[in-house]
Amino acid sequence: MSRFLVDRDGETHVRLAEGMELTKSQAVLAAVGFVALLIVPDITRFTPLSFTAIHRGILFGLAAVGLNLLLRHTELVSFGHAAFFGVGAYAAAVLASQFDVSSGLLLLLGGVLAATTISVLIGYFVASYLDIYFALLTLAFNQVLYAFVLQSGYFNYSDGLNVRPDGLNPPALFGLQLSSTGYELVLYYFTVVVLIVSLLVMWKLVNSPFGRALDAIGQNRTRARFVGIPVEKYVWVAFVISGIYGGLAGGLFALLQLHVSPEATLYAFVSGEILFMAILGGFGTLVGPVIGGVVLVYLLVQAPFYIEYYNALTGLTLLAVVLFLPEGILGSIPKIGTGLSRRRRDPGLLREDLATIGSSLRRGVSRAVTTVRIIVFGVN
Amino acid sequence: MTTEPLAGTESSGIDRRTLLKTVGGSALAVALAGCTELLEGEQESAADADVPDEPIESGLQTFTEGAPSVLGIQAEYGAETAVRRINENGGIAGREMDLDVVEEGGAYLTNYQQFVDEGKDVTFGPISSSGHAEMVPEIEAQEVINVSTDGTVTTLYEEDFPDVTYSFRFQNHDVMEALAAVNQAVEVLGADSIDTYAGINPNYAFGQDEMNLFSQGIEKLTGAEQVYSGFPDLGTSDMSTHITEINGEEPDVVFSSCWGGDATLLLEQGHANDMFDNTELLVGTVLYGSANDMEEDLVDGPIYSGSRNFYWGEPSTDRWSPAADLVDEVQSEYGVVPTAHFMSGYGAVTAWATAAEKAVSLLGRWPEQEELAMVLENHGFFTPAGYHTMGSDHQGYSNAHFGELTWSDEHDAAALQDVNVFAAKNVSPPPGEISSDWIGSW
Repeated sequence: MSRFLVDRDGETHVRLAEGMELTKSQAVLAAVGFVALLIVPDITRFTPLSFTAIHRGILFGLAAVGLNLLLRHTELVSFGHAAFFGVGAYAAAVLASQFDVSSGLLLLLGGVLAATTISVLIGYFVASYLDIYFALLTLAFNQVLYAFVLQSGYFNYSDGLNVRPDGLNPPALFGLQLSSTGYELVLYYFTVVVLIVSLLVMWKLVNSPFGRALDAIGQNRTRARFVGIPVEKYVWVAFVISGIYGGLAGGLFALLQLHVSPEATLYAFVSGEILFMAILGGFGTLVGPVIGGVVLVYLLVQAPFYIEYYNALTGLTLLAVVLFLPEGILGSIPKIGTGLSRRRRDPGLLREDLATIGSSLRRGVSRAVTTVRIIVFGVN
Repeated sequence: MTTEPLAGTESSGIDRRTLLKTVGGSALAVALAGCTELLEGEQESAADADVPDEPIESGLQTFTEGAPSVLGIQAEYGAETAVRRINENGGIAGREMDLDVVEEGGAYLTNYQQFVDEGKDVTFGPISSSGHAEMVPEIEAQEVINVSTDGTVTTLYEEDFPDVTYSFRFQNHDVMEALAAVNQAVEVLGADSIDTYAGINPNYAFGQDEMNLFSQGIEKLTGAEQVYSGFPDLGTSDMSTHITEINGEEPDVVFSSCWGGDATLLLEQGHANDMFDNTELLVGTVLYGSANDMEEDLVDGPIYSGSRNFYWGEPSTDRWSPAADLVDEVQSEYGVVPTAHFMSGYGAVTAWATAAEKAVSLLGRWPEQEELAMVLENHGFFTPAGYHTMGSDHQGYSNAHFGELTWSDEHDAAALQDVNVFAAKNVSPPPGEISSDWIGSW
């Protein structure tokens, strides 16, 4: 075996870094994903796909990756993650519109710092709570921030703020004042770099002793405490890291959108969407939330152009995920892959599938008929 | 600002050739002005021009759902009616027009970007003022003309974006309806009888802008004092706290720029809490925009509303046939009475379409975006609402209407009576001048 190929449990793995080994199919998926990310601008030029919608989806996905640290490892559900996304976005917007800061990187840095500060504060108050209390507290803090921004003239109420230091043009990126198309491209590739670095950092983190401790906290707080893990402190740190991802995504969102408004960044529904993205893509995986982000944003933003009843679409998607793909899009790939290869080997299984679908439909109809009979006649 | 010939001009009273000349002489311009009976025997001026065969692709973003759809769907009907008339009359220089409509709610930039990605030749909308302000820099960056149907905040072209190329607005801006409301209040009560005033306005750019302009205007004309100003959120479900404040203060005049479902709610809760017994007058700039949402008992009381640039009953429909024809057409097609927001959609399309045809006849070919933008500046055109101009500041100007809310048994809908018509020059500063400075100079 070479330096990049190692043998694990009788299977060849591709070794990307110390401790980071992917199976062959995982490596192929990662390579496809990486290439797909790089060629998004070209794909969207020759297809009806929307470049900005995909870019926006990646950014929300990045926030969902942060949220997933809590969801997957500490098993805490946050309903208030838009707080960090929104604070990151608003900090960039305030610096651009109120202080005329023209460097995109400084705006992003401001966003991350502000989100970090807010997540330290909120994390301090919520770290010791569990389950629904944790979820509701995060939601409450989110709503407080939303209401504060909405009522404040400094943040221009519900109209929001432009992220255009000179009033018309976007901020400078790497010292360059770019044209509209150039700006979008440079920002996109910068986002790709940020995304990959963030994913690697998150991977390193969850595979570190700290990540294992978070797993232990998620499985049983009391036992984790018994083995000497400072539970509240670790949850607080995880919360802050999660908030930093949200702030980073929010800051980049402000740079992309060039306008920040409370409803699009701070509203509780946005928190719900970020949570949905993690579940949709597969919260048991590292990259799943990014896939979920792109898919959901695409559904939310692009569907109105193609379908009249677009509002129902996200609901139907959520139903489909919960009923048929509970492990999310990416999380279900291995299961779907195994199922397909079994059916390739034994086509007779397809007949069984059809029979299963037929019998479940028959059962459904029979149940419905029984229910109607009971409603109409009072007895079965 | 030129507003002649006035909207009230009787079509049959003008020399046929004069009107044809005024509207630009083309079949399209005449059709959109609503004077199709004048078309007979006229030649299409741009018929030989070098224009592509494919249809013009256009996109409209407007509110199609929720409380704001009371206005938004009217704008959609208006734009569709204009496009239908364009296509029935052979298109713009022979090119037919397609219109895609999308919900604007919160997605202004995204919608505009998607339209541009789809290769739209022109985009229309939005209704929201804050959405329009958000879009203007993007429109300038993408260089595809957008004619906003509303988005009427006064400061937009006066202070925020005084030098734009591709962004236009069809509807009269806020200062025109706020000052029309001031003039209407003075006319009804008399300047000496107005000592106090109050306001209930939606809590965003449009509502704050309108209240600010009304305050400046009424204080300048009457010396009245503001006793209360409340800003309920857009789409709120309760205005009772604001109405209670009004009842406590008993101001002479209440001003409101509430629109859509908010306007209906204000009237409902105002009646339920006896607000109209505690004030002499309610002047609402766009209450009438919700005409199709109002019941007969809601319009009872000293309630006056503006109707921006269009009210079908002024001049009376038996004297101004384009407005009468439009009311008939819209009622049979959509089952609603067209309001000023119908004209928002109709006028935005008409402004662009008539300018495009003018550009083709000038250039002999289809214009580039920049050339069309130049033609749109200072462009004058007719609609059934009368004569409109697009100012050099990219702001639309036409007469403003204000009248008492009443009930029309004939149309089974809210209507206006004793309508006053205010020429643009009397309620807005000339292009290039800041509204608040202009009011200050009275």
